[in-house]
Amino acid sequence: MSSSKDSPKSGLSRRDFLRAGGAAATSVTGLAGATLETQAQPGQPPASHIPVLGPGPAKISLNVNGREMSTAVEPRVTLLDALRNYLDVTGCKRVCDRGTCGACTVMLEGKPVYSCSMLAVEAQGKAIRTAESLVDGGKLDPVPEKFVQFDAQQCGFCTPGFVVAMRAVLDRNPKATPEDVEQGLQGNICRCGTYEQMRDAIYSLCNRPRRS
Amino acid sequence: MPWPQQRRLLGTKVQRLDGADKSTGRAKYSYDINRPRQCHARILRCPHAHARIKSIDTTVAERTPGFKSIHMVAKPGDELYFAGAELLGIAADTEEHAEDALRAIRVEYEPLPHHVKEAEALRSKGSTVGGGAEAANVTPAGDYSTDNFEQNAYRDAAAVHEAEYGVAIISHQCLETHGLVAQWDEKQENLTVWASTQAVPNTAQQLAQYFKIPATRVKCITHYMGGGFGSKFGPDIQGQIAAELAKKAAQPVKLMLDRAEEVTVGGMRPSAYGKVKIAANKEGLIQAFEVDCYGSPGVGRGATVNFNLLPYVYVNVPHIKRKHQAVRLNLQTARAMRAPGHPQNCLLTEQAIDDLAAKLNVNPIQMRLRNLPPNDQDAIKNAPTTYLALRHTIYTQQIDLVRKMSDWDRKWHPPGQGNGPIKTGLGIALHTWGGSGRGPNPTKITIGADGSVLCQSSTQDLGTAQRTVAAIIVAEILGLDPKDIMVEVGESQHGPSTPSGGSTTCPGTSPAILKAAENARDAFFAAIAPRMNVEVADLEIAPGHVVNKKANQRIPWRQACARLGMNPVQATGDWPTNAQLQQNKELRDLWTTRLSNQGVGGVQIAEVRVDTETGVVRCTNVWAVQDVGLVVNKLGCESQAAGGVVMGVNYALYEECIYDKNSGRLVNPDMEFYKLAGIRDMPQIHVHMMDMPERGVIGIGEPPTISTAAAVGNAIFNAIGVRVPFAPFTPERVLAALARPQGGAR
Repeated sequence: MSSSKDSPKSGLSRRDFLRAGGAAATSVTGLAGATLETQAQPGQPPASHIPVLGPGPAKISLNVNGREMSTAVEPRVTLLDALRNYLDVTGCKRVCDRGTCGACTVMLEGKPVYSCSMLAVEAQGKAIRTAESLVDGGKLDPVPEKFVQFDAQQCGFCTPGFVVAMRAVLDRNPKATPEDVEQGLQGNICRCGTYEQMRDAIYSLCNRPRRS
Repeated sequence: MPWPQQRRLLGTKVQRLDGADKSTGRAKYSYDINRPRQCHARILRCPHAHARIKSIDTTVAERTPGFKSIHMVAKPGDELYFAGAELLGIAADTEEHAEDALRAIRVEYEPLPHHVKEAEALRSKGSTVGGGAEAANVTPAGDYSTDNFEQNAYRDAAAVHEAEYGVAIISHQCLETHGLVAQWDEKQENLTVWASTQAVPNTAQQLAQYFKIPATRVKCITHYMGGGFGSKFGPDIQGQIAAELAKKAAQPVKLMLDRAEEVTVGGMRPSAYGKVKIAANKEGLIQAFEVDCYGSPGVGRGATVNFNLLPYVYVNVPHIKRKHQAVRLNLQTARAMRAPGHPQNCLLTEQAIDDLAAKLNVNPIQMRLRNLPPNDQDAIKNAPTTYLALRHTIYTQQIDLVRKMSDWDRKWHPPGQGNGPIKTGLGIALHTWGGSGRGPNPTKITIGADGSVLCQSSTQDLGTAQRTVAAIIVAEILGLDPKDIMVEVGESQHGPSTPSGGSTTCPGTSPAILKAAENARDAFFAAIAPRMNVEVADLEIAPGHVVNKKANQRIPWRQACARLGMNPVQATGDWPTNAQLQQNKELRDLWTTRLSNQGVGGVQIAEVRVDTETGVVRCTNVWAVQDVGLVVNKLGCESQAAGGVVMGVNYALYEECIYDKNSGRLVNPDMEFYKLAGIRDMPQIHVHMMDMPERGVIGIGEPPTISTAAAVGNAIFNAIGVRVPFAPFTPERVLAALARPQGGAR
């Protein structure tokens, strides 16, 4: 999916959202119908192109694993919650829900992001990839394939996040060293303790021998 | 029905059957279940460590948009004993609306005095944790002494060491939080729950009991489970709340704890602090072990160490004196956590032994070899495959192995030696665990005319690759590939099964699966023999084939199955009843000392690098040798062993539930200030599984996490030459120990 980050149609920038959110907050306090002009700073043109969202559900469309999916969510809903609770895309997991553990990692335009720390409305018009995209029919992407081969998962709840983060590192740099890949996994936490097996997977993906 | 002598699959490395589904996010955990018309629920919790409820006003909340139902579990006048105690649950159409409704509730509390620090509660007489007259803050949890301890204990002592050691409360931190989805049928008679649990049938039963309905009316499903570690054995109060809310709303309800709730109320490993006095004679034989320890099980009761196993492993010390006190605090009740009591015991014992060895100028490995408990003579005669009969042999072999793996003899140096600010050190510790299996674990196997094989039971896969364990055993007996076996677990309607606690699942299920597979094979032969004009005794299994020995004919599996015609073959297998096992020694020996067993030994060596200027400890290598009897899946065993080491390194260096003295609240109910290691914080982990097939299957879950923290503690002592007494061994505590070698900060 091609889209320009600068185009107003590509979604909502954080700044746009905050300004629109201010308007929404105003309407909550009883000034429903207040126009966006009231939010404009003196000397700035009225931001009439900014869509007003919330507090009620707003229709959104997300491009998930190459499919356009539509739903309606309140603007406060995170990308993670929109995917899990509204679109039934549950490969991204909710664990810490505040940008520490990486279980919610998805790729946004190829970059790994914590989907718990981004609003769903911000993700519109951007290509979102989750772990579910790493299997095509019965054919596994090499990253999950190595996770299976070396048993780099136990309960598996953190695994899709690790897999997506690792896929993102290797997409960005197909010649990544094991060190590079480990760097790229620093934002992910596993509780069962599968790091040793993950290293086996990483070395294999990087075509490096591990141990004598 | 012993285990096959010739093992084609057992003991090899088999990839987990559900690995692809898990790693690509297609596996549906309880947290991932989305039912049509599903509501979301949240729980209102007490913000005070100890308080009485004065009033609860829910009127505004019940008018908020999307509100569906409310269920009260506390009422005005009730006393609540910890921050996080439940008041009520509320369901709404969306999670956002459930949060809004929760925020609209007004509660008035009368705060009461509280304790959240062990040492303070121990000192304060007669106040205030609450819970009625019988609820003293400090309760004796064990007091024992060998005869004439005072006269004899230190008589032959060549060296005596006395010091304090301890470890803080930690959290299970299951990545999938506790919780479930509850759905009643249209008549509100039958309840289905998708629960994150280590005990599928028990969860269904407990809910049936709670609602006073027949057990057959509640079904529990746990296809995938995101971590339990001992904290998830039933629906808990949130399960009751979710099911109540679902009934009242006449809609399915999902209630999963959030991260803060998970850490605050989802379970904790209790603390243990103790004064240890240990003495050895001039031969380095430990003559006396004296421990006076305490720990907090939270607001509940119970010991926080394994009292009878102090000293740990070295149980043949002649003079022992031990005392333990449980110190109640205003925080959640402790739950079983991966080898309950054992890591604490190991820290209290193994660190004291190293300190004593240093005083004696003895190498820690020599110290341990000298003090290993002997093989028990009675056990050698009566139960030769048991831990008691083999412990000295097992530990000696393990120490020899791990010593070579780690290059101990070349690397080890006397404590504190080495130049420069970065010091390296090696430390060793031993552990033991039971890990016995039991029934009932009925397993049903169906062989279809198309060659398909289905294996069903209600047991659960916590991440242990239990599906794969079943597939390996069935495939071994039927001559198939594990991938050919369809395994269904985690549904209560498949009958009873034992909860997955205490490393009992693999030894509890494996013999039953073996029995079922043999019964299925025999039933299959009985069905096809007449159609092939042969006797059952003429048939046998070869890989991928049924062999007709009479005609010297090899029939491919599918062709042989086609002879079943319209009727699939079904067979079940299960443990004998407890009465049968008690009455029949031969049967008991078969099931509990050859098919399965209990009691394992393990030895670990840790290597650390300590920066004496910053206090930062980096664990660089851990070598782990572990006995688990008969290895079913070597790949899965190694994973669990390495995972245990990771949890042990976390316990040693990072984890601690920190409670604020003034508010009584947990200040790090999260994953940023509650520290868990990432991949770059982790040592290289070298696992060696000892395969002892003659012993039968023994559990692997708990043992490999037990001795890691003590080994790390000993490695730090070896590196810097002073003991850091209290875990986790944070930079602050390392620096304090370096500054005040006679006793570091807690």
